[in-house]
Amino acid sequence: MKAIEISGISKNYGHVAALREISLDVDSGEIFGLIGPDGAGKTTLFRIMTTLMLADAGSGKICGMDIVSDYSRIRKIIGYMPGRFSLYQDLSVRENLEYFATLFGTTVEKNYGTIKEIYSRIEPFRDRKAGKLSGGMKQKLALCCALVHKPSVLFLDEPTTGVDAVSRSEFWKMLERIRKSGVTVFVSTPYMDEASLCDRLAMIRDGVIIGTGTPGQIVSAYPYRLLSVEGDRIYPLLKKLRETEGVISCFSFGASLHLAYDPEKTGTSGILAAIRESGLEDCKVREISPGIEDCFMQLARK
Amino acid sequence: MWKYLLEKEFKQFFRDPGLPRMALAFPVLMMLVFPFAVSMDIRNINLAVVDNCMSKESSRLIEKCTSSGYFRLVFHGQSPDEAMRLMDNNKADAIITIMPGFDKETVSGSGFPAGIKVNTVNGTKGSLGSRYILQCVRSYVGERNDALGTAVPPAADISEKYYFNPGMDYKLFMIPALIVIAITMITAFLPALNIVSEKEAGTIEQINVTPVSKTAFIVCKMIPYWAIAFFILTACLVIAWAVFGYVCRGNILWLYIFTVLDIIVMAGLGLLISNYSSNAQQAMFVIWFFAVIFMLMSGIFTPIASMPHWAQYITYLNPMRYFADAMRAVYLKGSTPAELWYDVAGLAALGSVMVGAAVASYRKTE
Repeated sequence: MKAIEISGISKNYGHVAALREISLDVDSGEIFGLIGPDGAGKTTLFRIMTTLMLADAGSGKICGMDIVSDYSRIRKIIGYMPGRFSLYQDLSVRENLEYFATLFGTTVEKNYGTIKEIYSRIEPFRDRKAGKLSGGMKQKLALCCALVHKPSVLFLDEPTTGVDAVSRSEFWKMLERIRKSGVTVFVSTPYMDEASLCDRLAMIRDGVIIGTGTPGQIVSAYPYRLLSVEGDRIYPLLKKLRETEGVISCFSFGASLHLAYDPEKTGTSGILAAIRESGLEDCKVREISPGIEDCFMQLARK
Repeated sequence: MWKYLLEKEFKQFFRDPGLPRMALAFPVLMMLVFPFAVSMDIRNINLAVVDNCMSKESSRLIEKCTSSGYFRLVFHGQSPDEAMRLMDNNKADAIITIMPGFDKETVSGSGFPAGIKVNTVNGTKGSLGSRYILQCVRSYVGERNDALGTAVPPAADISEKYYFNPGMDYKLFMIPALIVIAITMITAFLPALNIVSEKEAGTIEQINVTPVSKTAFIVCKMIPYWAIAFFILTACLVIAWAVFGYVCRGNILWLYIFTVLDIIVMAGLGLLISNYSSNAQQAMFVIWFFAVIFMLMSGIFTPIASMPHWAQYITYLNPMRYFADAMRAVYLKGSTPAELWYDVAGLAALGSVMVGAAVASYRKTE
């Protein structure tokens, strides 16, 4: 049985279409990533899947249960961690955890095994008020609270937004362990570099899924060749390259430029010739294999 | 489950730096300070007398007024302009003008040549002032007739007797009303703010994905405030008895029953407010709007009967009107709910509408 199955989900806010005909399948026991920029509709989709909001059209199932008619049963088997820290700041770590355990009709002791690894990190601060924890510890507490009832599916809405790089990689290691204990993880993120850590992912933009598959599938489906161009004067270089014959797209990517070209129309030599022609000679050009972000940019252009 | 939900609400309530102290200080302040501060007894009315007679009779009238304790004589002379100037400068609230021949005409009973002017910039002071002057004049006339033994009866002999609050004691009158205000504030507005703050913090979202029903969650949020409302009611009654020696004339049970009815109405209102506000600031403004209208149109400070007709119709929609009326009737007169069926019906009708609307709008947001 699929952990998540949704088809044709649409949602409008007034005249703005937040989601258009979204269909997704998530297998049991995988980490599924929803990648997209801010405002793409990720949170709306989360709210619909977690039964907090009704879709205008379409249907969905979580572990075989309908998201509309079986919402009360779904709520027993899912864990949800919203993007914003939303635990009780005036209750202590322990009290928050016990509170959520009780709401799900269980106790911390009964499911201690599930949360042990994460909870042991914040246990020294068990009597501290949640509002006084550091960002990383708040995140761990929120994760514990979402896991305390041993959910079958865990929904994480942008869990790593605003978290430093070390905590982010630590967090993904925790997700890996959670997955191993048999929990399906559905996670959204605006960071493309986290995409490769998912088993499968879907890319969303302006309420439309523009691509889905394993990170490997998505990368191998990239239809063009890619060059990395480094130079002193990036901006005139960018302008020049965009006008060059056979160049599909050119974006600045950190300190360098990523240039996609159609191998049937031009080649590395043609592009080098174009660079030389413009008088911007001091450039390093090398062929690279595309990353998820390149794929996203390419798919988003359509 | 319910037990734990409640436990958490109480925990948060007592952990709040301000709330428990406020709940304690509120009834104490209400009962010990406000009855004095909002008193409408008027004293120290500045009186100017233009005495064109300067006789024994005229000075007896003046003495009658000043000895009543309500007036302070600021001017006694013969210049009407001087008296008027004092009133223009707000130094005199009332002017009595005594005409020449006052002594002769009053003694012969042929007339009463005196005029009264009252400054009604401050309406309450003005109307009460003129009533007090008339009272003094009446008692002066009565005494003089007795002294002279004349058989001239006064034109009108009005005697007044006040029932239920014989001394016209404003404090006694205000105590049930202040209880009404306190309970309304606590049961309608604090839970609304509490729910909105959970919305603001995003915690309500986290609760909504749990199997806990929204109803259980909301009811558990309100129960602590209901407990506080009963605590305040009890505390106010005890303070009224211990400090002022006032006791409820009716059955205290009825006070509690009316409080329960009011709580139902206010719970509905509070929930409605929280459904339509997404942050504390919005909620505060709506609360303020309702609180002011409820208080001013409840008959607590000004009698409903003296409002214009259209305003009286508006008061039918005000739950505080029924609650205040019932609490005063029970406390001052010893009425029973059967006699106050009108208030019971009003509260019940408003309660079912409010709770119905709240539940409907609440479902819609789901």
